[in-house]
Amino acid sequence: MSKAENKSPYQIAQEQFDLAAEFMGLEDDLRCILRVPKRELTVNFPVRMDDGSVQAFTGYRVQHNVTRGPGKGGIRYHQNVSLDEVRALAMWMTWKCAVVNIPFGGAKGGVVVDPTKLSLRELENLTRRFATEISPLIGQDGDIPAPDVNTNAQIMAWLMDTISMHTGHLESAITTGKPLGLGGSLGRSDATGRGVSFCVAQAAKFLNMDLKDAPTVVQGFGNVGSVSARMLHDLGCRIIAVGDVYGSIYNPKGIDPHALVQHMKKTRTVMDYPDCEPVPNEDLLEIKCDVLVPAALEEQITAENAPRIRPKILAEGANGPTTPEADKILFENNVFVIPDILCNAGGVTVSYFEWVQDLQSFFWDESEINHRLKLVMDSSFQAVNERAQAHKIPLRLAANILAIERVAEATRLRGIYP
Amino acid sequence: MLIQEPIRATETPDLWQVASTQFNRAADALNLEDKLRVILGNVKRELAVNFPVRMSNGHTLTFQGFRAHHNVNMGPARGGIRYHPGVNSAQVRAFAMLNTWRAAIVNVPFGGASGGVVCDPRGQLTGRAMTARELENLTRRFITEIDFIIGPHADILVPEVNITPEIVAWIMDTYSMHHGQMVTSVVTGKPLAIGGSALRDEAGGLGVKLVVEQAARWKGLDLNGANVVIQGFGNTGSNAAMFLHELGCNIIAVSDVSGAIVSAKRLDPHQIERYRQQNGTLLNYPDSDNLAEEELLELPCDILTLAGLENQIDARNAPRIHAKIIAEAANLPTNPQADDILRERAILVIPDLLANASSLMLSYFEWVQDLQSFFWTEEETRARLSRVVGTAFDSVVAMSEQHQVDLRTAGLMLAIGRVAEATRLRGIYP
Repeated sequence: MSKAENKSPYQIAQEQFDLAAEFMGLEDDLRCILRVPKRELTVNFPVRMDDGSVQAFTGYRVQHNVTRGPGKGGIRYHQNVSLDEVRALAMWMTWKCAVVNIPFGGAKGGVVVDPTKLSLRELENLTRRFATEISPLIGQDGDIPAPDVNTNAQIMAWLMDTISMHTGHLESAITTGKPLGLGGSLGRSDATGRGVSFCVAQAAKFLNMDLKDAPTVVQGFGNVGSVSARMLHDLGCRIIAVGDVYGSIYNPKGIDPHALVQHMKKTRTVMDYPDCEPVPNEDLLEIKCDVLVPAALEEQITAENAPRIRPKILAEGANGPTTPEADKILFENNVFVIPDILCNAGGVTVSYFEWVQDLQSFFWDESEINHRLKLVMDSSFQAVNERAQAHKIPLRLAANILAIERVAEATRLRGIYP
Repeated sequence: MLIQEPIRATETPDLWQVASTQFNRAADALNLEDKLRVILGNVKRELAVNFPVRMSNGHTLTFQGFRAHHNVNMGPARGGIRYHPGVNSAQVRAFAMLNTWRAAIVNVPFGGASGGVVCDPRGQLTGRAMTARELENLTRRFITEIDFIIGPHADILVPEVNITPEIVAWIMDTYSMHHGQMVTSVVTGKPLAIGGSALRDEAGGLGVKLVVEQAARWKGLDLNGANVVIQGFGNTGSNAAMFLHELGCNIIAVSDVSGAIVSAKRLDPHQIERYRQQNGTLLNYPDSDNLAEEELLELPCDILTLAGLENQIDARNAPRIHAKIIAEAANLPTNPQADDILRERAILVIPDLLANASSLMLSYFEWVQDLQSFFWTEEETRARLSRVVGTAFDSVVAMSEQHQVDLRTAGLMLAIGRVAEATRLRGIYP
């Protein structure tokens, strides 16, 4: 995947903030507070490996802002995790939660590790030790982790178990994305992809575009990518290409994402799915389509490839997939970009529901959750799109302004301690 | 348009490299197993915080602060806090590691921590000193931000560069207010009236005196009439000067942030202190010449005491040092390449590890007395102190002779060996 510009994710996040702050005329005092994270914890810890050796790992937990509520954000296990990346992701979480108006601040964490190289036991050891190291920082009222790239419900369960063992009782609200039997919420695992599909539907309605048979491309086939593909398919879209870290496949007649998910249970990759031709990963995003869903990593759409990326709707399932330079080009080319902090907010919204249910130990049924999710996503889309159309600005700028306004107002009211 | 650009930390990776290299040399000499190198060679945790402070002109500035814990296997972390434009992540990590070894070498049950805020309280960089109210706001807010990782049994703060007794009191007060009761043992260097300990003011200088005496004895150097140069005239430097002057040494040159002076006559540190109070500078002190700080370091003398900042002697100026003994009262003032050159030139370096063991002991004593709310007399404190420091010096010399390594490596071997043993016993969680 190409990274044409030399900007780091954090620089991109700050640049996006600066653009919005400038547009809003945000006072300097607040600018200097909101554009940097409040707290960054770096931990180095040893883990006993299966072969008896001891390896050192580095992990991070960053809280960007906790003015509107406890920090919220996932934990990523990936070899490219860096403090810089985690800062950016934490910041995007603050804006995301503010855009959908849930009472959370922004946080994020990660461990520099390639989890595919670890056994299950080593993964558990690493998770338990990492949880211990960040335990001073996290808690149901302070900072609530969740799954992210390469982490899942099992890892959240180990995290929750470790903290629960330390305090001596079940701490169910300390993470979200937990398995159903352990205080998880119905609808959580599909939430992000579902939210993406709600946003795409709203965008299509606004653009007077028919989603029936709309050619759709999805980059990334993890949780967000695969569920988005399924939901969009069920809305009528024709999934014509899909890619994961191993490769991409293309079939103009359409790929059934439900069947593809089944296929992947055996192969663990989209590659070699029948009736498709392989496509180099760099070319996936440029395939002609109506709906494009980047649902993999940051910085995929850059000044270099943006001129050739012309869907009608670009729905950011991933965090930070588009650079600011690319944003300008896409806006000029009339691509309707649904920004990450709105488009993938379905996940954190249902995380919020999970946390609420855990706090009261009272669980809702799936239809209620999906209904509440739709209400949140639809009204958030409306609010952002109205702002964007009124000022003739891209949705990202409108979303950032809306989010920053909410955080700024909360900060003004709370004041500066002491 | 910001009215005043906040000072941001600039990375000088050298300092962590310095600490790492020193560690690696000792770990090699010890044949330390990989699994322990991996644990002891890294800091356990490092917290960076960005926080707003209301300034007296009505505007809000954000400041960046750090607190790192290198290792807490031996006990709560303990280490300095400083307010200085040079504070940065690498420095904080390096000092935290150094503090772990410092405690282990005198068998004090602490781990190593360090931290600070990137700011310019005296206006050296920005030309504008911070007001008392701004310093108080900054202190109260910084302590609030790091509250969750400090505490009497988690991390004990110690004053360093630009941390005055007032600031120490605000640290204690803020922490106590948050926890709803008086907590004295979270910070040492407190005024006597609020849980401070006897000998607090002299601790640093006293430590220098004790190790210089021991080193002089070991090397057969007569301190009466010995020429002494002191870089840094803060609490440690000025007290060291006074003690050595009393022993009969000739203080021939001193420096501080205002500059450096050298004299053909014997300087009286008490009078220098008075002069500085009246004039706000050391420069133009009567019967002396002003000189550049780099020149001060290269003056011929018997004892050179480094009591200023880190990174003072490197490969560039090590060949031009003309002291017989260097006492490192500051943290990491000498880098590894310089260590090699000084060793070749048979110049004895009393490492920071040892030379400031006294101030560590005294802060330990203050913490112990705070925990029991029962305070010792000055005599009791003095007696306890000299017992411990003497033993540490002798053990390091013995290790250095046994393994044919310099005092720094020997000291580190002793310290690392102790922490390694504790780690082996505790195992690796989970």
